[in-house]
Amino acid sequence: MADTKTHTLPSQHTAPRLQLESTWRVVVLNDPVNLMSYVVLIFKKVFGFDETTARRHMLEVHEQGRSVVWSGLREKAEAYTFTLQQWHLTAVLESDGAI
Amino acid sequence: MEPFEIALSLPVVAPLLDVVKELADGLKQTLAAPPVLPESDSVFRDLWTQELLAAQNEDLAALLALFNEEFFTEGVVALGPSNAEAIARACSAIRLRLRERYLVPLGDEALEIGEVELDSLDAPTRKAFMCYLFLATIQEYIIQHLDESIIGS
Repeated sequence: MADTKTHTLPSQHTAPRLQLESTWRVVVLNDPVNLMSYVVLIFKKVFGFDETTARRHMLEVHEQGRSVVWSGLREKAEAYTFTLQQWHLTAVLESDGAI
Repeated sequence: MEPFEIALSLPVVAPLLDVVKELADGLKQTLAAPPVLPESDSVFRDLWTQELLAAQNEDLAALLALFNEEFFTEGVVALGPSNAEAIARACSAIRLRLRERYLVPLGDEALEIGEVELDSLDAPTRKAFMCYLFLATIQEYIIQHLDESIIGS
């Protein structure tokens, strides 16, 4: 299978160290266009989720409007967000205390 | 994933390609789904957006390349490891733009469940909706094959 094309942003443009040490969440928001099966596939492919976990997150997005699909260091959260946006999901980054 | 082919109805699909091409051209300069970024640094935002746009253009080129001479003579399109993911993403981009450009008046609920009275639509909207469904069908084929390869890996 072809690899997902992940365009990684240059390191000089990543956030300062203080922010890197915070916890960042990758949140997927609902959209009315992308197929449920498409969203499940992306979650499995990008995060390595099993079918049950991928479907749970997809349904959370669909029914509650959002799902936190990953949390951790900012640099990796940015990479995941970028990849999800490449697949045209509405993905946003949130930091601790953002809500 | 194993390469596979999809047989399409030429008289049905060929007229929809004008819509696909028109929207793909429009997406050369703009993202189908503009990203929401927390970063206030404009250089960072520009880089992020440019990278997404470059990827989007590569994907759209893969989708347009699907409709080659073989399609117009045999009605068949060929997919495989080299183009399936790009085409799935490109279908998503075009569908997002179709909604934005033509289908918003139909309402999101109707779009999500696909319950739209075709006869009640004017010609451009009907064509756009047919295109929306066609691209979803292509995605479903790809998802089925990619899913099998993920399960099998």
